[in-house]
Parts: sequence; C-alpha cells; structure tokens
Amino acid sequence: MDLLLQLLANGLVNGTFYALSALGLTLVFGLMRVVNFAHGEMYVIGGLLGWVLTGVVGLDFFTSLAVVVFGMGVAGWLIDRVLVSRVRDQDEEVGLLLMIGLSIFLANSALLVFGTTPRRVLSPFPTKPFFLGPVVVTQSRLFVVALCAALIVAAHLLIQKTALGQAMRATFQDAMAARLAGIRTEGIYGFTFGLGTALAGAAGTLLGSIYVAEPTNGGLISLKAFVVVILGGLGSFAGAITGGLILGVTEALWGGFVSTNSVDAIGFALVIVMLLVRPYGLFSKRGERP
Amino acid sequence: MLLRTILIGAASAMLISAAQAQTPTVKIGLIQPLTGSVADDGTADVNGEKLAVEERNARGGVLGRQIELAIEDGQCKPAISVNAAEKLIQRDKVVALSGAFCSSATLAVMPVAENNKLPLITGVSSNPQLTEKGNHWFFRADENDALLAKAFAKILTQQIHLKKVAYVAVNDDFGRGAVDQFEKAMTELGATTAMKEYFEHGTTDFYTLLAKLKASGADGVFMATETQDGSIFVKQKAEFGLDLKVFGVGSWATDDFITLAGSASEGIYAAVPYAYTMTTPENKAFVETYKARYKGSPGEYSVAGYNVINILVDAIARAGSTDGEKIREALTKTDFVGPNGRFQFDEKGQAYGFSVVLVQITKGIPIVAASATIEP
Repeated sequence: MDLLLQLLANGLVNGTFYALSALGLTLVFGLMRVVNFAHGEMYVIGGLLGWVLTGVVGLDFFTSLAVVVFGMGVAGWLIDRVLVSRVRDQDEEVGLLLMIGLSIFLANSALLVFGTTPRRVLSPFPTKPFFLGPVVVTQSRLFVVALCAALIVAAHLLIQKTALGQAMRATFQDAMAARLAGIRTEGIYGFTFGLGTALAGAAGTLLGSIYVAEPTNGGLISLKAFVVVILGGLGSFAGAITGGLILGVTEALWGGFVSTNSVDAIGFALVIVMLLVRPYGLFSKRGERP
Repeated sequence: MLLRTILIGAASAMLISAAQAQTPTVKIGLIQPLTGSVADDGTADVNGEKLAVEERNARGGVLGRQIELAIEDGQCKPAISVNAAEKLIQRDKVVALSGAFCSSATLAVMPVAENNKLPLITGVSSNPQLTEKGNHWFFRADENDALLAKAFAKILTQQIHLKKVAYVAVNDDFGRGAVDQFEKAMTELGATTAMKEYFEHGTTDFYTLLAKLKASGADGVFMATETQDGSIFVKQKAEFGLDLKVFGVGSWATDDFITLAGSASEGIYAAVPYAYTMTTPENKAFVETYKARYKGSPGEYSVAGYNVINILVDAIARAGSTDGEKIREALTKTDFVGPNGRFQFDEKGQAYGFSVVLVQITKGIPIVAASATIEP
C-alpha cells in the first residue's frame, strides 16, 4: 500500500513536470502547427542558461528565471523572424526540415559552448526529504509543481481572456481573415514562437534545479513532450496537464509493478492507443486544419 | 653571386622543411562516445589519450614519426561505432583502433577490426564475453566484470557486511553483465538478492526505482552505471531519505561524479580500476601532468585512455612497423607500467597484473579502503 501511494505521488509530480516541459510545444506545435523538433534543445539551453546565471554569475534563482524567460523569449522571436517566417507559407516538409536542422544546430552549439558535463541550476529550496504520511517528496519538487501550475494557469488566461490571446487564436484559425480584421499576424507569429521558447526555457531552468541540464539530453525531452501534446490534444493547456499526468502516473505504476527498463516505451504505447481511439487527443476540439 | 647563393640556400631550406612536413604521421583511430549520456566519460577518455600522444610526440613520436589521433563519435551505439570504424580504416588509414567504450559498441566493432586485420584495444569495455570471442585482434587493457566481481565480492560480504543486496544497473551489456557477475559472486558468499532492476541511459527520475528499493528491504545496493546516471541516482536517494549502503561500479570516484552528487556522495563505496589518490610514483606524476593540462583530477576513463595509447605506441615501437599483424604480435608481449599498475595480456587478450581499488568517498575525496590485484 505504501508503495502504491509513493508511486502515485511520484507519478503525479513527474506528470506535472512533463506537462511543464510540454507547455511551449503545445503552443508552437499545437497552435502554430510548427513541428518544433528543437523544443528539447530550447529546454536544455534554458537550463544551461539558468546554470550560468545561478552558478557562475551568482544571481538569485528568481532573477535568473526572469532573465531566462526574457532572453529565451527574445531568442524565440528572432528565430521566428529570421527563420520560421521564411517557410511559413510553404509545405510542411520544409518547416519540418528547418526545425530538425535547428535542433541539430542548437544541440551542437550547446556542446561546443558548455561541453558535455551535466550542470545543475542552484535552487533556494532544500532537497531534504519531507514526509506526508508514508510518502516522501522534497520541498524543491513541491515548489516546482506549484510554479508549474501557476505557469499553466497564466498561459491559459493569456490565450483565453486577453485581446492578445484572441488575436493569437484568430491568426491560427484563419490568418487571412485575421489580417483582414486588422490583426498584425506577423507580430502574432513572432510573439507566439517567442512565448513557446520562453516557456521551454523556463521549464529547463525549473527542472534543471531538480535534475540536471545537459546539452545532449534534448532529444528525449522533445520525444516526451510530443507524447504529452498528442495525448492531451494540440494547443490545449488542460490537455497538456492531463497528458502529462497520465504519462507520469502510467510510467510510475508500470515501473513500480512491472519493470523499470521498459518504462520509456509506455508513452509511445499510450500515443498509439490514443491515435486509435481519439485521434484528436483528449481535449482538442475537432476541427478542420487550415 | 651572393644573391644566387642566398636563393639556393633559401630554396633548399624550403625543400627540407617541406620534406619534414610530408613525413606521414602514425594515425591511431579513436571511437568514443562524444555525444549522448556517456559523452562526459568518453571525453575524459579522449583527454587521457590526447595527453599520452602529446607526451609521446614530445619525446619524438614513434618510428621517427609523429603520432596523430583520428577521433570519431561512436555515441556508444553499435551501428554508429561500426560506421566510425569503417571510416577510420578506409579514409583515415589508421594503424590501430581504440574504443568503443560501451561493451555493446565494442562488440560490434570487433569483427570490423578482425576483417581489416587491425588491432583493436579498449581501456573501458568490461563485459567478460568480449575476450571470450576468440578474436585475436582484440585486447582489453582493463578489468572485466568477472574479475572485478571475484576481487570485490569478498570485501563486500566480509568487510562491509552486505547480506540482502539490491542490484540496479543501466540496461545495456555493461550493466547487465556487471549485475550477473556480481550477483553470482555475492550469492556464492551467502548474500541474497532483494531486487534486480534496470533503467535506460539518460533516465532523469529515479523515484519509482527508489520506492521499489525501499519496499524491497535491502541492506545495500549494488549499482553499475556511469557518472551522469549514477550521480542523479545517489542525489535522489538522499532526497528520498533512504539510508542504504551504496556500492558502485562504473565511474563512481571521479571529480565530476562528486561535484554532481554533492553531499549525497558521502560514504559511497566504489570499485574502481583507478582512483587519483593511488600512491604509486607513476600515478603521482600522471596526476600532476593531467592537472596541469586539464585543470581537474583524472578519473578512471582518463587513465584508461592514457594507458591504451601508451600500450599501443609501445607495441608499434616494438613492432618497428605499422603493419597490423606485426603490431598485434607486439601487443601480445606488452609489459607496461601505468599509473594503476603493470599491464600484461593473457592469450585471450585480457590484461592482468594491474590494481583495482575499493574507495569510499569521504568529504568529497575518494579514499582508498582496500585494493586488489587482477590475477590472470
């Protein structure tokens, strides 16, 4: 019984982390329809930047997080302006190739600059064990879970409740109509990509304080993030959190009661089942793609 | 007249220097993981190999020629390592191969070396099966898990008093091989197995495994992993508040490991072929040059790379030729004293005679707790 409770707790915490690391992707892939293979690398660079700011420069954690969010946001905006905008109206394959190229470029640049050593973001929260009955968690994990929930709510409100969010949704539904209605769609594209990159970077810094940030880990992050986004439904924040939790809990239970060495296959099994049963994901509204 | 003399002088000087520049180098091919989750350890190995080459070249190289390394990233993956080997042999014309780190990758490269009649030497791969394949072109200049298990199981059961042991390892030939060998050796000495689990390279969250470990009631955990995975595991074990003796094989006593694991590394036992705190004069000299060159203490993989190049270059010098068969012949007569002891090869290409040590990490320093010599 204690084992089950502990596994469930692990799964829920991990699930929230998966949701967090998939937030940026659900915007860029889900809303913008850019198949962002470089998502994992953006996450990693956010983590490495977090390490530079907290570990080398010596800034405190929250200032560093703010700098990472801002810096990655600007970088994402630039990537959209300089690269993604050039392939916007072309076939999907062109964009796909661009993002694969970008991911290789980013991963190897990070290797060149930071080397292969894994780095840890310094966090102000203690990692001492913390008991809830028979279940162990740490304060730093609970804190990241809380911050993650806050980020998800903030991003959701931004998209559903603000004029900017309305413009974003309009642009991605029908860019031509949005332009006719007076929306500066190029700005919206740039902003969305920047926001997606900033969220990926924030996730990298937050989770880099719990795990480690390493330049070569981007691929696995991307894979899991794609699983979460597909499970939850493209472009849905509620879907991202549900997808993340499903993935986290299933992995924990499978690892705990069956075996830990096949755990990475679980996510893909879930995706296959989901594509068979509900090809649009749990939360996505069925709709024609433009 | 004077002008002409000067011109002739200058021209002949140019010719001589051109001729010197054209003396071909002796190329040695390296296949190491430079990306992926063991990239860190692969880089440490390459650092050791580079240091050995620099030292050798400063002393005049080998056969009157300079030594050059051709380095390829094998990513510890069998298919990629095989491609790297083919490229090194066909395009770079290397005279011998060093690699390919992970046992599974080395296993894949072995037939390539055999087909091309080129010696392949590893300083890292520890799956006992490798030297049982009857491949005469393959040499292992490090311990294998069976020999290590034999040497350490006694210390673990009798000095550290492990009775109910959990085995946790990375899911590849190295991890599974190490667990098989240690479980066998430990069971023979009366220890029981509480749990046996494997995880993938690059796993970041071990809470599930830790929950299982806690429920298993083990009094100690045996681990076979590399730096990145291992440091994350012990850190999370400390977070989890699990008080267990940890005994690791892989790279557990390196500076990187201790930095990454922080205070969680305290008290951990590691069976290592090498600790920079070893007190032989060869090691003291090696640590000093390594620190001057790379600003950090060498780990087992740095010394492995260093040994491999020295053993190879010695063999090339003895062979007096870069012919594969002659180098292979010379390798069988290896007698090299490295930082961690004396290396000779048995008829299967397995090295013996060198020392392995059990260290306990105390206040961030791996202190030698016991040592054993690998017997043939």
